[in-house]
Amino acid sequence: MARLFQNGKVWDSDEKAMVPSDLVVSDAGVIESLGSNLSVPEGAEVIDCDGCLLIPGMFDLHVHGREPGDEHKETLASCAEAAIHGGVTGLVLMPDTSPPIDSGNLVKSLQDLVSEYSAISMLPSGCLTKGRKGEQLAGFSGMANRGIVMLTDSGSSVPCPDLLRRCMEYAKDFDLLVTTSCDTTALTKAGAVNEGKVSYQLGLPGIPAMSQEIAIDRNIRIAQHTGARLHLQQISTANAVKSVSCAKEVGTRVTCEVSAHHLLLTEEDVVGYNTHFKLAPPLRLETDRLALVEGLINGTIDVIASNHAPHTEFEKSADFGSAPFGVSGLETTVLSIFDGLICPGIISWELMIECYSNRPRLIVGRDPVKIKEGEKAEFFVFDPEGETELKRDYFKTKSPVTPFLGKTLKGAIRKTVV
Amino acid sequence: MSDFPAISTQEILSPTGIEEAITFLAEEIATRCEGENVAFIGIFTRGVTLATRVAAVLAERGIQYPVGTLDISLYRDDFDNRGSDLPRLESSDVPFAIDGSRVIIFDEVIFTGRTIRAALDGLMDYGRPAKIELAVLVDRGHREIPIQPDYVGKKVETIFDDYVKVRFTEDDSKEGVFLVKEKGGTE
Amino acid sequence: MSELKPRKDLLDIESLTLDEIEYVLENAVPFKQLFQRSVKKVPTLRGKTVLNLFYEPSTRTSSSFEVAANRMSADVTNFSVSASSVVKGESLLDTIETLQAMRSDYIVIRHQAAGVPGIVAQHTRASVLNAGDGYHAHPTQALLDAMTFREVYPDFRGRKVVIVGDVLHSRVARSTSTLFNKLGIEVGVLGPGSLIPEGRHGFMQRFGSWDEVFDWKPDAVYLLRVQMERQEGQFFPSVSEYHKMYGMHSTRVQRMRELGCYLMHPGPVNRGVEITDEAMGYEKSLISTQVENGIAVRMAVLHWLKPETQLD
Repeated sequence: MARLFQNGKVWDSDEKAMVPSDLVVSDAGVIESLGSNLSVPEGAEVIDCDGCLLIPGMFDLHVHGREPGDEHKETLASCAEAAIHGGVTGLVLMPDTSPPIDSGNLVKSLQDLVSEYSAISMLPSGCLTKGRKGEQLAGFSGMANRGIVMLTDSGSSVPCPDLLRRCMEYAKDFDLLVTTSCDTTALTKAGAVNEGKVSYQLGLPGIPAMSQEIAIDRNIRIAQHTGARLHLQQISTANAVKSVSCAKEVGTRVTCEVSAHHLLLTEEDVVGYNTHFKLAPPLRLETDRLALVEGLINGTIDVIASNHAPHTEFEKSADFGSAPFGVSGLETTVLSIFDGLICPGIISWELMIECYSNRPRLIVGRDPVKIKEGEKAEFFVFDPEGETELKRDYFKTKSPVTPFLGKTLKGAIRKTVV
Repeated sequence: MSDFPAISTQEILSPTGIEEAITFLAEEIATRCEGENVAFIGIFTRGVTLATRVAAVLAERGIQYPVGTLDISLYRDDFDNRGSDLPRLESSDVPFAIDGSRVIIFDEVIFTGRTIRAALDGLMDYGRPAKIELAVLVDRGHREIPIQPDYVGKKVETIFDDYVKVRFTEDDSKEGVFLVKEKGGTE
Repeated sequence: MSELKPRKDLLDIESLTLDEIEYVLENAVPFKQLFQRSVKKVPTLRGKTVLNLFYEPSTRTSSSFEVAANRMSADVTNFSVSASSVVKGESLLDTIETLQAMRSDYIVIRHQAAGVPGIVAQHTRASVLNAGDGYHAHPTQALLDAMTFREVYPDFRGRKVVIVGDVLHSRVARSTSTLFNKLGIEVGVLGPGSLIPEGRHGFMQRFGSWDEVFDWKPDAVYLLRVQMERQEGQFFPSVSEYHKMYGMHSTRVQRMRELGCYLMHPGPVNRGVEITDEAMGYEKSLISTQVENGIAVRMAVLHWLKPETQLD
């Protein structure tokens, strides 16, 4: 059935503006017409979008789908639902499943699962090293042939610099993007929070900022040496932003991402021992947070990525030191950034769409989504005057574990079209 | 306890009245305890003042009795109902052996008798007196347990919900005994 | 008279108000006086149950709490869980449910993980007393330290204490320095750079050597226990080097004596490591007073906290 979206404002990616317009989506999910005062097509459903914005579907570069292996935390089906619920219409699945996706065959079986369970585009990535163990190269060519969009040991940083060098050299031949999390294991050790005032006050082992900074510097150096394309996940400190900025100045092929959590929260939020604030990398200082926001605005930071890493509430109910790192993010990234950065006028929708829709697609070789006649309909209806109460039953993810649980955020995602 | 303001406050004993009652208590004790090994124990806060004043009157007459102090908070039977008013403890001080002596406990008012019950328990933890007696400035009736004073400064008729307020200059920078009637109350 | 709000749990020092600190420290004094009587027991907590739940071995602290509870006539159940027997898979919440079913009025808990007493407190109506959690807090230790210091220095405000040793991994250092600071007592630290969280705590003055410490003229020296299990050559090269650099021995005792400086230690001491046998005999050592005051303070805390077990 065709649908008419009436009285909304549609993001025009050429004008870089929200333009008042009606919009008709055909039965086949294609944008048929766009313009003011469109008549209702025969038998079409009419959706009143008065006061709402129609925004291109977001694309998340960093999602832990958990299937296969950890279906109690999330399944591809629940992950897809959560994405749609959060305005995300495409994403990259991290390969840290059980088993880890480290061969062409495993990529194939993951793709089969995705096509069976998911209504949205969920692109596979593959491991850099076999079993994510950091010991030997995974089967790059087989995975490349199956269409993986990046290589990453996701969550593990490839501790051996020599091995990472070989990975990058080898990946370059396939023009595969090498993505790394940024952390120096020997410095992170059993750390649970940012090392500093809060770790001391709470008596929790700290993760020093230099743990990430050294890894970033190291990985950038190896990328410069090998000429491989490098994407840095979840940067979290002011020095990390500086390093990336310097690398970009000299033409290094490097991109990086930041999460909504690191853009909005700091180590001070951890003070109540709430494990919903236990993230990898950990939440840092206010000065770091401000540097990240600045880096996003000046383009040093290319993309926003949720690092959707669900763990069940039960798993998160352990003490802070033992609880697993990571929280859900697919359903809160758009809302929390609207509430914390767009509403107060710190960043614009243009930057948000650039960082969470266009650039992440470009990084994995996909075309940005546009709301234009003849294009596939991939957008969401956002009500900037609405409010969203993030209660447990709001969430579609199997693990509604997020720092924003229980909060009420400005804005509401009314509908996502894919 | 009622949150309503008092509807009437009536003076039962003036400063002079208190002085007379204390003299009366001193005389009674002197007569009845002559030649015995007597020790006073005051219950915090105003029982201590009362014991000290009575002892001072006796001292003028050449009779020296030691005065000890007892905080009975830890012996009360209403610990669970302490509400939001957290008890500040005082140091009980019994600087003499009470074994074999005739101990007189002092409290300013006797009402239900529960305070004295707690005081008896507390006192026993210091030793085994030959005899324990009770002296009060005011007996206002309504006992809930079988405890009676041996020396009474003044008896006052009250209803249960009344409040008898004793004020000593040492503790309160004001002197007098008042009967405070609050709203309502049972016969 | 007092306008203090009733408090259910004692989890750390940070959350205590000055009024609450004064209240507990002042009430501890009459409790301590009970120890002079032949009958040291009071009936205050008759019929109440105290569960001593120790996930980390500690004879001292657990006995101190046990004695405190006994002297207030409570029934005490000791429940020690060796770390190895904590079955993986039984979550903290399962354990709490079990505890809840035991219907204790007070739960004294020591755990190797920071924050656990707080989680237990949120999920039980019993009053929770933190007896040490990870590197986080040891509030009753801090209170007994303050009581001990105030006994010898009734004019404690503006006085100076230096804490010596592994400040980084010490819940005692955290709680005691926080409490001393709240009371207006200056705290300095001495120890190897690898064990001092330098630059993160403006309130702590760091000294480079004992000479600097003595020049500062501290009123008490507080030695921390050297955690032998942490002695893997990672934080300082050897025990003998530690002893030489930071230990308390006769020469340093002599300097203390000249200054009239008191000696404190949370116990148990490692003789020959942070302190020599000889120095243990220092006449101004407050170590055994700390133990005695520990019982009084814990009685005052039990008396103060208000479990929610009496509701409905």
